[in-house]
Amino acid sequence: MTRARNALLAALLVVGLATPALAQKPVKIGVLTPLSPPGDAAAGQFIVRGAKMGAEDVNARGGVLGGRKIELVIEDDSGTPEKGSAGFRKLATQDQAVAVIGQFHSSVMTAVQVLAEQFKVPVFSTQASARQVTEKHLNFTFRTHVIDPDRCVMWTRWAKERGFKRVALITENTDYGVGLVDETKKAFASMYPGAELKTIIFDRAVVDLTPQLLEIKSWKPDALFNGGIGTPTYLIAKQAWDIGLTPAVPTLISYDAPARPEYWKNLGEKGNYASFIVYYHPTMRLTTRGEAFRKKYIAEFKEDPIYGALNGYAQVVLLADALNAAKSDNTDELVKALLAGKFEGWNGTISFTRGDGPYWQQWSPPMLVIQYTKPEMPFADAKIIYPSELKTGDWVATPK
Amino acid sequence: MDATLLSQYVLSGLVIGVIYSLMALGITFIYSIMKMINWSMGEFYMIGSYVQYAVIVNLVGPRRWYLAVPLAMAAVFVLGLVVQRFLLRPMFVGGVERRDEYATVITIALMVLFRNLAIVLGGPNQYAPPDYARPVTLGTLPISGNRFVALIGTLVLLGLFYLVIKKTWIGRALRGAAQNRVGIQTAGIDVLRLDMLAFGVGVSLAAAAGALLAPDFLVYPENGAISTFKGFEIIVIGGLGSILGSVVGGVLLGVIEALGSVFVSAAYKDLYGFLLLIALLVFRPTGLFGERERSV
Repeated sequence: MTRARNALLAALLVVGLATPALAQKPVKIGVLTPLSPPGDAAAGQFIVRGAKMGAEDVNARGGVLGGRKIELVIEDDSGTPEKGSAGFRKLATQDQAVAVIGQFHSSVMTAVQVLAEQFKVPVFSTQASARQVTEKHLNFTFRTHVIDPDRCVMWTRWAKERGFKRVALITENTDYGVGLVDETKKAFASMYPGAELKTIIFDRAVVDLTPQLLEIKSWKPDALFNGGIGTPTYLIAKQAWDIGLTPAVPTLISYDAPARPEYWKNLGEKGNYASFIVYYHPTMRLTTRGEAFRKKYIAEFKEDPIYGALNGYAQVVLLADALNAAKSDNTDELVKALLAGKFEGWNGTISFTRGDGPYWQQWSPPMLVIQYTKPEMPFADAKIIYPSELKTGDWVATPK
Repeated sequence: MDATLLSQYVLSGLVIGVIYSLMALGITFIYSIMKMINWSMGEFYMIGSYVQYAVIVNLVGPRRWYLAVPLAMAAVFVLGLVVQRFLLRPMFVGGVERRDEYATVITIALMVLFRNLAIVLGGPNQYAPPDYARPVTLGTLPISGNRFVALIGTLVLLGLFYLVIKKTWIGRALRGAAQNRVGIQTAGIDVLRLDMLAFGVGVSLAAAAGALLAPDFLVYPENGAISTFKGFEIIVIGGLGSILGSVVGGVLLGVIEALGSVFVSAAYKDLYGFLLLIALLVFRPTGLFGERERSV
C-alpha cells in the first residue's frame, strides 16, 4: 500500500513538474531573411529589428496560447535560393518553427514556398513582390507586401502623368528583375500606347554597368527606371551619374532603398533628384499598434523606422494574434485562423482572402512615389509626389 | 552603327580591361613563382578596398585619398607574407605530396574565412569612399574621375612592376624562380623567401585594384568576386604564367566585351569574354602568350 502511494505521489510529482515546463515551452517563429551578400543585407537587418520588437511586444503582453513566449529563430538566406532552402528546412524540422517570416528576395521566396507546402509551415513574404509568389495559390504562402504588377502599373501611370514617352528600365536577372520587365511591358502596352520602353537585364554579380548605361544614354530616354536590389541599385545610380545620364534624365528607383540611412553615404550628391517607390512615409497615419512601434523604434534606434521593420513587426504580431485565435500551434489551425481573422497591422487592418491571380492570401500596403530634391535630405522631409490624391509636393526637374 | 557609341564602348572596354589586368597580373605572378592558383585573390582585392575606405574615412581624409592606396597595398602585402609563411610554405617544406590540392583547399578556405570576417568586422552593408576626382571625358567617353584615376594608377603600377622585374636583381631572381625553382637554388637564392615576396606582391596588386576601384564598385564583402572572375578569364586568354599575356588579355577581354555590347547587346556583356575563352581553349589551349609546360 505504501509502495503504491509512493508511486502515485512520484507520478503526480512528475506530472506536476512537467506540466508547467510544457506550458512554458516557447512558440518559435522563424525569420529567414538576407543578412549577408549577395542578398540585400541592410533590408534583412531592418526586418530582424522589427521582428524582434514584435516578439518583445507580444511577450511583454503575456505571450501567446496562455503564457507561452514567442521565440524568434533568425536565419540568413544571403538572398540565394539554395541558402534559403537550407535555412527553411532547418527552421521547419530542427527548430519546429510554426511560421517563417522575413522573405525579401523573390527568387528565395519562390524556392522556399515549395518547402513551406511540403512541411506545412506558413511562410510570409515581408518584401518579396514577384507576381508568381501568390499566383501559384499555395495554402501556406502569405504576403503582406505589394505585388509587382501593381508596382509596374504605378510607375507606368507616373511616367504617363509626367509625359515621359521614352522610358528605359535597367534591372537584374532575378525573379524580381525579370518580373519587372514583363509587367512593365504589359503595363506600357495596355495603359500607355505610343510610349516606348527599352529594357536591359544584367547579371546580378556584374559591377561595371557602363556599357549598358551608355546604350541607354544613346537611346535618349526621357526617364530611367532603376530596378536594382541592394548593391546594384547603388551601382546603377553611381555609374549613370558618372556617364552623364542622370540627373539630366530623371530616375525612379523601384523600391525604398533610398529611405535607408546608407543611401546618402553611398551616393552623396549622385543620389539627388531621384524619385523612389515607398510603402511608408513618416507623415502617414498609423494604427495604434503602428504608432506605438514607431515611438519605441525611434527611442531605441534614434531614427525613423524603415518599412521593412514595420512589416517585420506587424507579421510577428499578427502571427501572435492568429495563434491565439487558433488556440493551438498546429499549423493547419494557424492557417485557418489567418484566413478567418482580421489583424491590426501597422497602418490598417490586415486580412487574407483567396482572390484571383496574385491576389491570393495577399494584403498590400499603400505605394507612394517620393523625391529627394537636395543632397543629404532626410527621408521625412522628402515630399510625396505621387499619387495625386496623396501628394505633398510636386516633382522637381533637375535644373539645367 | 553609331560611331560615337562604338568608340565609347571600345574606350570603356580598354579602360576596364587595363584595370582588370592588374588583378590578372597578381594571379599569374603568384602562379609563375609558386606554381599554385590563389583562389582567394578576390578577397585580397576586397581587403584592399576595406583598408582604403577605413584609411580615408579615419586617417587621411577624402582629399588625400592617394595616400591610402599605398597603405592599402602595404597592409595587404604584410597579410600576404603572413599567409604565405604560415599556411602556404608547408607545401614546399612540409612534405606535402599533392601541392595543387593543398593550395586549392587552403586558398578556398581563406576565401570563405575573409568574406565572413568582413561581414563580422564591417557588417554586410556597402560602403563608398568619397570620389577621387570629378567625372572626365576621355576622347568620346564620359567616365567617372575614379575610373580615370584607377586607369592612371594601374598604368603606373604596371610600369613599376615591369621595371622591378626587368631591371633589378630581385626581379632577375624572380624570373629565375619562374623558370626553374630547383636551378635557382643552385645559385644560392633562397626560393622560399622569393615565394613569400611573390605572394605578398601578387596579393598587393589585387589590393591596389580594390583600393582604386572602391568608390566606383563599392566596398562590401563580395566585391572581389567579379574581378577574380575576370582575372582568371584574362590569364586563360593571355596564357597562364605570362605577364605580358595578362596585360594583353585584359585589354582584349575589355574590347571583346565592348564590341559584343555594340553589335549584339550590352545585356550579355559578360558572355562575349566566355566565347573568346572557349575559342582559345579549342584552338590555342595555352593562351596567347602561354607556353606548353615541359617536364623531365
